[in-house]
Amino acid sequence: MQPTTRQEQKVVTRDRLVNAAMALFARKGIVNTTTADVAKSIHMSHGVVFLHFPTRDDLVVAVIDEFGRRLSAEFRQAFEHDLGLRAVLHAHLRVLAELEPFYARLVTEAPMLPPKVRSTLMLLHAAVSYELFQALERERKLGRARKIDRPLLFNTWIGLVHHYLVNRDVFATGNSVIAEQGDILVNHFMTLVKP
Amino acid sequence: MAEKCPACGSCGMPMEKPEDFALGDVTRPYCRYCTDARGELLPYEQVLETNVGFYVDSQGVTRAAAIEMAQAMLADKPAWRGRH
Repeated sequence: MQPTTRQEQKVVTRDRLVNAAMALFARKGIVNTTTADVAKSIHMSHGVVFLHFPTRDDLVVAVIDEFGRRLSAEFRQAFEHDLGLRAVLHAHLRVLAELEPFYARLVTEAPMLPPKVRSTLMLLHAAVSYELFQALERERKLGRARKIDRPLLFNTWIGLVHHYLVNRDVFATGNSVIAEQGDILVNHFMTLVKP
Repeated sequence: MAEKCPACGSCGMPMEKPEDFALGDVTRPYCRYCTDARGELLPYEQVLETNVGFYVDSQGVTRAAAIEMAQAMLADKPAWRGRH
């Protein structure tokens, strides 16, 4: 459907910029992509970017926020069907697989990114950490998991996943390491948390 | 693209459910964590401390790193913009 109002047009333009930025960040890297590159890739003037995002960091944050929205929707959906830890891990991986090229760049470049961008990623991690821990505690009450401190539970999972993502060229034969290795990682993690 | 929900004007937390908002009122600009029992915005130091705790408890990062991240996160939020 064509946007009719000025406000709708503004939302469409903003979404186009976020999607274009995500694609370019995935291809060229976040540090190496300029706002001019993003504008050019969708045939917009450079000035349009700044109407929506005052700084380049704001654009990067908007892309990470988009990732966060998808993650939160996926977690919500997972909880409607299954509250188990395995379901939470799979929900997390589904979103990572969907945005894998961008996310792999993000975690590879994270130490080089400014605090404002890095803190946005860490907030997302905090949300994942919360969901993992809640799910682990539910499993524990059913006698299916052991006690693990929240930061180490999260760091063990994310360390495993990020290692495969950062080195996806050697862990996958195709385009998605999550698609190829995701089930193995989930099964392995589930054995680690067993009582 | 996924549907967007409002974000807290103080800490940026997405507010998806009524209980995420101050006093459960969806017209309020701030979340329940950044406000007191009357729905008023808490002082900056208190909001900062909540966010620092959030980073430390969830990922085990150092307190110094968590403070840097939380300050960067809050700096351009409507409630605290131009504070420094």
